[in-house]
Parts: sequence; C-alpha cells; structure tokens
Amino acid sequence: MKKSILLLLVVYALGCEMTIHPELESPAEILVVDAWLIHNKQEQVVKLSKSQGYFEDQDPEPITGALVKVLDQTSGVVYDFAETDLGYRYTTDSTFGVIGHEYQLSIEVEGDSFSAKARLGAVPAVDSVVFSHNPEDFNILSDYYSAEFFATDLQGDGNTYWIKTWKNGILLNKPSEINIAYDAGFGAGQQVDGVVFHKSIRRDFINPLEEREDRANYYYPPYDIGDSVYVEIHSIDQVAYDYLAAVKTQTDRPGGFSELFAVPLSNVITNVQSTDRNSSTPVAGFFNVAAVSAGGKKLTQQLANQLQD
Amino acid sequence: MKSHLLIFISLTIITVRLFAQEQFTIGGYVRDESNGEELIGATVLVNELSTGAVANMYGYYAITLPKGNYEITYRYIGYESVIQTIEVDQDIRMDMELPTVSEELDAVVVSSKSMDANVTTTEMSTAALDIQSIKKMPAFAGEVDLIKSLQMLPGVTSVGEGAPGFNVRGGSVGQNLVLLDEAPVYQSSHMFGFFSVFNPDAVKDVKLYKGGIPARYGGRLSSVLDIRMKEGNNKHYEVNGGVGTIFSRLSVEGPLKKDKASFILAGRRSYADVFAKLFTDMLADGGLHFYDLTAKVNLNINEKNRVFASGYWGRDVFDFGEATGFNWGNRTATIRWNNLISENLFSNYSFYYSLYDYGFNFGDNLDNFDWKSSIQTFNFKPQFAWSVNTTNELTFGGEAVLYEFNPAEAKVTNAGVRTDILLDRKRAIEASVYLSNAQEITTKLALDYGVRMSYFSALGGQEYLYGDTLVGLEKPLEGVQNMDDWEAGASYVNAEPRVAVKYQLSNSSSLKASYNRTVQYLHQISNTTVSTPTDIWYPSNSNVKPQKGQQVALGYFRNLRNNSLEASIETYYKWTGNQVDYIDGADLFVNEFLDAQFLSGIGRSYGLEFYLKKNTGRFHGWVSYTLSKTELKVDGINYRDDLVHRSGKWYPTSFDQRHNLKVAAFYRLSDQLLLSSNFSFMSGTPSTFPTDRMTVNGYVIPYIKGGARNNFRAPDYHRLDISLTFQQLGRKGKAKSINDELVVSVYNLYARKNPFSIYFSQGADRQGDTNVQTAAKQMSILGALIPAVSYNFKF
Repeated sequence: MKKSILLLLVVYALGCEMTIHPELESPAEILVVDAWLIHNKQEQVVKLSKSQGYFEDQDPEPITGALVKVLDQTSGVVYDFAETDLGYRYTTDSTFGVIGHEYQLSIEVEGDSFSAKARLGAVPAVDSVVFSHNPEDFNILSDYYSAEFFATDLQGDGNTYWIKTWKNGILLNKPSEINIAYDAGFGAGQQVDGVVFHKSIRRDFINPLEEREDRANYYYPPYDIGDSVYVEIHSIDQVAYDYLAAVKTQTDRPGGFSELFAVPLSNVITNVQSTDRNSSTPVAGFFNVAAVSAGGKKLTQQLANQLQD
Repeated sequence: MKSHLLIFISLTIITVRLFAQEQFTIGGYVRDESNGEELIGATVLVNELSTGAVANMYGYYAITLPKGNYEITYRYIGYESVIQTIEVDQDIRMDMELPTVSEELDAVVVSSKSMDANVTTTEMSTAALDIQSIKKMPAFAGEVDLIKSLQMLPGVTSVGEGAPGFNVRGGSVGQNLVLLDEAPVYQSSHMFGFFSVFNPDAVKDVKLYKGGIPARYGGRLSSVLDIRMKEGNNKHYEVNGGVGTIFSRLSVEGPLKKDKASFILAGRRSYADVFAKLFTDMLADGGLHFYDLTAKVNLNINEKNRVFASGYWGRDVFDFGEATGFNWGNRTATIRWNNLISENLFSNYSFYYSLYDYGFNFGDNLDNFDWKSSIQTFNFKPQFAWSVNTTNELTFGGEAVLYEFNPAEAKVTNAGVRTDILLDRKRAIEASVYLSNAQEITTKLALDYGVRMSYFSALGGQEYLYGDTLVGLEKPLEGVQNMDDWEAGASYVNAEPRVAVKYQLSNSSSLKASYNRTVQYLHQISNTTVSTPTDIWYPSNSNVKPQKGQQVALGYFRNLRNNSLEASIETYYKWTGNQVDYIDGADLFVNEFLDAQFLSGIGRSYGLEFYLKKNTGRFHGWVSYTLSKTELKVDGINYRDDLVHRSGKWYPTSFDQRHNLKVAAFYRLSDQLLLSSNFSFMSGTPSTFPTDRMTVNGYVIPYIKGGARNNFRAPDYHRLDISLTFQQLGRKGKAKSINDELVVSVYNLYARKNPFSIYFSQGADRQGDTNVQTAAKQMSILGALIPAVSYNFKF
C-alpha cells in the first residue's frame, strides 16, 4: 500500500508544492488530555495541556491545579495522581492495573469535570525479531537489510494493538510510521482473527525509510550493520484504535498525488467527555491503559554474514 | 401502481383516437446524407402552421396534422435545410437525408441543433455538445475529452485537475446520471480524473440536462448526461484514428449491408507504461495502462423495425508487480429495438446490462490483501412517443432495474494463512413509470408536463438496527436482522413531477421556466476531497433514506443577428434533502457497519448563468459565466458553539465556486489552419483549515474549533490553453481521400500553479519530542506548462 503510494508520487511528478502562510482563526485553546498508561511500568503519567495556535511550535502550556485519578471499575481500587512539574504522576513498585479490567479516568479542573473509560486488554508475546538481506529494488539503490517481527493475534474478535518501534533507541514517531492492528489485519469488519499479523504490520512500518538527499524518491537502507531494532506491542482499547487511525489520517500528509485520496481535515475523536451533558466546554485527547510485550535484535557483522550466505 | 398507469394510458389512447379521425401523421427518420447517421434533435417545421417536431434520440420525428397540403422544412445545424411539399391525406412515411454544409459553418461549436432551437423549444438548462466541436478544443495532453469540454459550459464545474467527473449546479459527482447508449456508467474517468472514458471517435451526440429534466430520466438528483454512440456509417467504410501523447485511437465503421445494417468498432489504449519503462525500471514487473473498446451494430429489419446492439468495455490497471496494484473498469451492453407501431406511435425497448468493478491488492504470495467490489445493473426500459395531434405529443414508458451490489470480497493472507472476508451481496429493485405531454397551448405558449413515479426496495441481505448517540459520533449497533435472499426490505415510493413552460416573446426571444423533483436511491460513498474510482455505490435502506431534490429555473433566451449570436440568462434554485455526509474519522473501507458512519443533512444551491455564443464566421466561440453558491447543513458537522446539541450550521460544499468564467474562442486563420483557445477562471474552492494544534503521545494533531467545515478558501484558479490545428497536411486543394490533421497544443500556457489542495502537517522529517514544527502546504497537480502533439486521420 505504502509502496503503491510512493510509486504514484513518482509517476505524477508534474505536481508541485509550496509552503504558504495563511492567517488562521484564533485558537480555541481547549483542554487536551494525554493519558496513555502502561500496565508493565511503575510510573504512570497523565499530561494536561492547552491546545495552541496551529503554527505556534513551542511546547504546549501545561494545565496545573487539576485533580486526576483513575478508578478500576472492576475492582473498585482508586489511583490518585499527584501533580508534578512533568505532569500528573502515580508510582507503584509493581505493575499498574489488572489485565481484563475496565478503567475510568476522572479529571477536575477549573470547575469542570471530565471522565474517560478504557479497557486494559491482553497482549500477545513478540515471538521473534529477524533481519533479512534483500536485493536492490525500486526504492533502495543497493542491496539492504530489513527487519521483521513475528507475533500472533490473540484469539477472539476485536483485539487491537499499537506496535511501536525503536531504531537504535530512537522511536519511529513519524505519523506515517503509526502501526496499528485490528486483530491480525487492518480494520473492523475484516475478521482476520487469531493468526500471525499481516506482513505490512510485521514489516512495512518497522523499517524506516529516509529519503536520499542526492536522489528524490529513493531511500537509504532501513538498517545497516551495527543497527538495532526494538519492537513493542501495546494492547489498546478498540476506540483507541479508531483514534490512532484518525490521528494517522489527519497527520500523515505526504502531499503530492496522494492528495487526490486525502480525506478533508476533521477533528480526531476523543474518549474524554464532560460529566455534565449540558456542558459547552470542549475537550480533546485520549485515555488508554496498555499491556506491553517486546522484543529486539541487533544486526551484527556476524549475523549479516550469515544472511549474506 | 404500474398496472393502473398502463390502464390509464391505454384508455387515453383509445379516447383520443375517437375524436382524432381527421388527422394524419407524417413520420420518419432524419439522417446525415453522407453516412446515414440519424440526426438526434433535427427540427421538422410545418411552415404553414409554424409548428413542428424535434427528432428524438433515435432520429425519428412524427407530426400529426389535419388533412391538407403543407410545406415542411427539415433543419439541423451544420446541414443544409431541405424544404419538401407534401400532400397529407393519409399517414405518410417521410425519411429525410440532409447534406452537410461546407466550410464556413463547419466551425460551429456547441450546437443547439437548429439555429433557433434554443429559443423555440421548451427545453431549458440543457447543453448539447457537438462532437466535432469538442474535438476542436485545446485539451490536456492533446487528448480530446468530453467531460472536460462540458466544464466549459455554464453551471458545470469540477473540483480541479485530476478530479474525476463533474459537478452540475452544486450537485456532487455521484448525483449525475451518466448514460452511454442508455446504460449507466458509474465511473466516467480514466487515470483518476485526467481523462474521460468516452472515445470521441465513437460518440455521436452528447446532451447534458442541468435542470428541467424530462420525466423519462430518473435515479439521480442533479443532472443527466445522455451520450449516444454512432451507429456506424451505412454508406461506405470509414477509418478514424489518432496518435496522441497518452492514447492512440483507432475506429472502423461501415455498412454490413448498404443502408440496411452497419457497425462501428473503436478502441483506445494508453502507452504511458511503454514510456515509463524507458525511464525507470520500477514498473518492470507490472504496468500502468488503460484502454477502452466500443462496439455497435444496427440492423434495419424493415421500415418499422430496427435493432441495435452496443457494448463498451474499459479498464484502468495500475500494476506494481509483486501482487500489488489496483484496477477498475466499466462494462456495458445494450440491446434496443425500435418499433413503429404506427407512423405516430414510436416505441423503443431497451435491455441493458452494466457492470462496474474495482479492486486493489498488495503484498506478495505469502502475505497479501486482495479486495474487490462491484455493482451490476440489469435493466428493461420500454419507451413510447405518440404524436397525438398538432399540439400534443405524449411520451410514456417505464423502467425496471435490478441492482446487485457486491460491497466487498476480500482475501487476506497472513504468513500463508488465508482468511476470506465476504460482505453480504445486496440486491435492490428500482421500478418507475412515467407519462408526460408536450403541448402547444397557443403559438406562443408551450408546456411540457409530466410525472415519474419511482419505487425502490432493498432485497435480501441484512437490516441493521442502530441506537442513538450524540450526533456526529458512530451510532452503536443494537441488532442485525437477516433477510431471506429476495425478501423485500425497506421500500420507498416517490412522485417526481416535471414541468417546463416556454413563452415566445418574439421570433428571436423567449422566456422559459421549469420545475423538477428528482429522487436518488443509490449513494456514492466517498469522504475524500475528490471522488475516486474506489468509492462505493450504496443502496438506500432503512437507515439511509433516498436523496431528494427539487429545482426551479427561469431563463431568458435571445438570438441576435439572424441567429448568429445566441444569448441566454438562467437562474436556478435547488434544495435537497437526505444528503449523505460522514462522521469525523469515518471508516468507509470494507466496513459491514457503514450506516453508522453516515450523517444526513440538507442542501441548497442557487445561481445565475450567462451564456453568449457566436455561431458563425472565422472568429467564433462562446463566453459563459456562472455566479453561484452551494451549501450543506448537517447535524454533527460545523456546529460551532453548539457543543450540547451539535446542530449543524450551513457550510459551503467542497465544489462551491462563487465565480466561474469560461471562454472558448476559435479563429480560422486559413482553410488549413485553426487556432483554438480556452480560458477558465474559478473562485478558490473551500477547504478546512485548523485553528489549534494539540500534542498527544508526541504527535501534533490539528484541531478545528467548533468542528468547522470548509472555513477557508484556496486561491483562485485560472488557466489558458491554446492549440493550433493544421488540417489537410500536404495535400492542399486535392481530393479528400484522406483527411488528416496535426494538433499542437499547450495546456496551462502561463504555467500557473493552480491549487489543488492545501494541507497541514508536521512535515516528513523526523521530529524530536517537543517543538514539532507545523506548516501549511499548497499543492498543484499540474503546475507547469504542458505541451502536446497529436495526429489524427480519417479515410
């Protein structure tokens, strides 16, 4: 899919782009909730901030003085988050929450109260991470190494995951690298359940493509000898899958011919709502509690030699 | 319902016959003398009564007259008029062949058939394009394009280059009914929107109804584009062809039996893939090509019976090898039987089949995703035209359509394990009957009135029940009801009245008005900025109601200088209901629960259209200007401050263009040399701009205050194209055994970077955790001057 789009960009090289500086409407400066908690981590952080004008590229202004807590709706346990300079935090010496339980985030700020719900789902193990040696192709001008991980979707319809990848310790954080799975495939209604993740998920998004400076539309090899890859699978709520899909749609705009297929700009969904049905205070952001599994590999000279043979 | 109407029609026929004893009918076909092609829309005038008839879509005319001697004039633009004196004392069959006029009229561009037909008929809000004229317009990449030519007319617009289809008077692309020899064509573009699928060498007549849509058409809200294929020369063999930058074309036509049967076979294929392989090995494993093939045969069985069979087969293939690519195509087949029940009662029975299918796949042998979708249409359509007397012509008929939708058939293979995904096939039936009468009330006042009754029912499949939620969010599924295969589901009946009236102010001017109501049961589902070939067609059901529209139009038509100048002003107001829009972040791809992704709203559009055309002379052409506005109002979208109820405020559609100016000018430099030019100006199209950015998980996400939609406008669009046509190469003054021409064209002469879209993003570079930079980019699809050369021949 990605490859097709890249190819189309080449085919339609007649297009051109320029940066413009339109004057936008004044910003709404709304409450933004960034609450992605992780079961396997000892420290949990919830960040509250104000949205800012679209072209203002400084750090968002944090919101202070809020009351933040998370309720385990299944067990009744309440986790109180303490305000710190780096957000609202909760620390434990073991894991956070129980797999299969439902969680509710509550926020009280400036006289308004908001809540969000999410389910902590199970996550399959990363079975293996491998490298392979490939001949040169239409994207990359030399033979090259690429990475791939293997994992199998858990049994049952509607398990959703977010796969995050680090190359040499640097998170692949481009919008185009958002890698999400609905069961083993790409969306609800496709029912690819309980099998190995699709190859695009296993491979396409974990091999970063950086465009060559000397030649447009061609890319550097994703991995060289000495590089390492580390992959995490996060279990996410089904609504979080929709949310991340929307984030990708709204932020991954490679431009060029793909604009023909672009969806008009719209707001991404949120699972945070005001507790007062008649409230007119807008809110955005997302709450999720994830379980994480991981695996990694380093491309050593020795491994490369084996792959070459 | 249907049987009642048939009884009513039969009774009317009998009654009228009883007191119509003293009248006789002159009827027949009007044809081109040189090749036997029927002349659709030729006018037949009875000079004594200053009344007349217009040849129908099959070139047949019928005039019913009291007994007597009459002088009758046959006219068609680009042809010499023929006057015939006839003694009418019985029903008379009078076929007429008209000779073409020579050079000076040859230049005529958009034809209104008879020189003054634009003023004298009740028809308004139509645009008829003469294929000879379309061929003279400068075209992108030198490829003559029917759909792009239409956009030079008032009220017809497009979102931009590369956008498929066209928008008529504020309607969406999916609201146009595109008919090729009566069969619907669901996707009218090759290579996304760059070229249209119709081969100009095989097309005889093109007519677009923007308003005042006759009762015989139905099923779409906005417009009808009726394209008729050539029958094929029935006098002698003819070969047309051309070599262009994108396509090469070839068509062969000729008599199977002189004056009795003829055929035409026309094909085109692109060779971009051939070129691409010279420059890059990227497509070595696959290819990128598109082709279309058109074929038609017809047979005159006898004076009263004639049959036609025609077919179209076109396909676009983008194949990237390694089981990756996508493709789409239309196929249509039509069989028609013209039967003259009597000289004054013409009937036609059409059977047609249409298939549109599209799909894409990516991956390799062990891991792939393969997706297909299709829509099939089976149709039967009887039509009758009855010339009752001098002042009344009744048309009636019906249409029964069976649709079969195959929304998704997907195969997913993960590491060799294959999963089949099959969304249920859906069927639906659409049946309609219509009756309409064209009546001359006085010599000045004419009226065309009728009604179309349409019925639609979903058949089989599933009925989904959804609960309520905050408007604009995905509705929760509450239950699924499985239906038997042919069990009738949600059904709808609608009356669609159609009225047009003309008042003749003088010989050269008239005032016209029309009203029509239209209903659309199939919805083109797309939430991309422009429609794409992979948009699905979705039938109405219990959750998705049929779209409804009404339009009133008023026009003043005036010809000047002995019909050499045509001018018109039209104004329209259109209001629509049950317009389909989508929730934010809608997932429309292989989704069984599509209904939950839809929102429903209302629309309105209004405008003023000016048109001035110079028909004759070395310098000819036209100017069209449209001032218009088109808006939608959908709850859950553009709700601004109303966060509690989210009731939508009006917002402009993505194809709303305030000003739209088009100029087509042609100058004949010499007998062999023609200079053509086009100029287009369109106000910038609306676009949604963000107000805020927010940071979640390290991603910088745009946010739009109040869910605003289309809150800004892109810069204006304008473009000039020119072309030079060298005709009769190297054989000045010699006999025309071969007609050939060389066309040199330049598209976008002053290389304006017209905006196609404006988008906001954090860019393609890897960003740190903070201070992510955001920017707005303006993208042009064709931001350069594009020269092209093509060579056309005919012998």
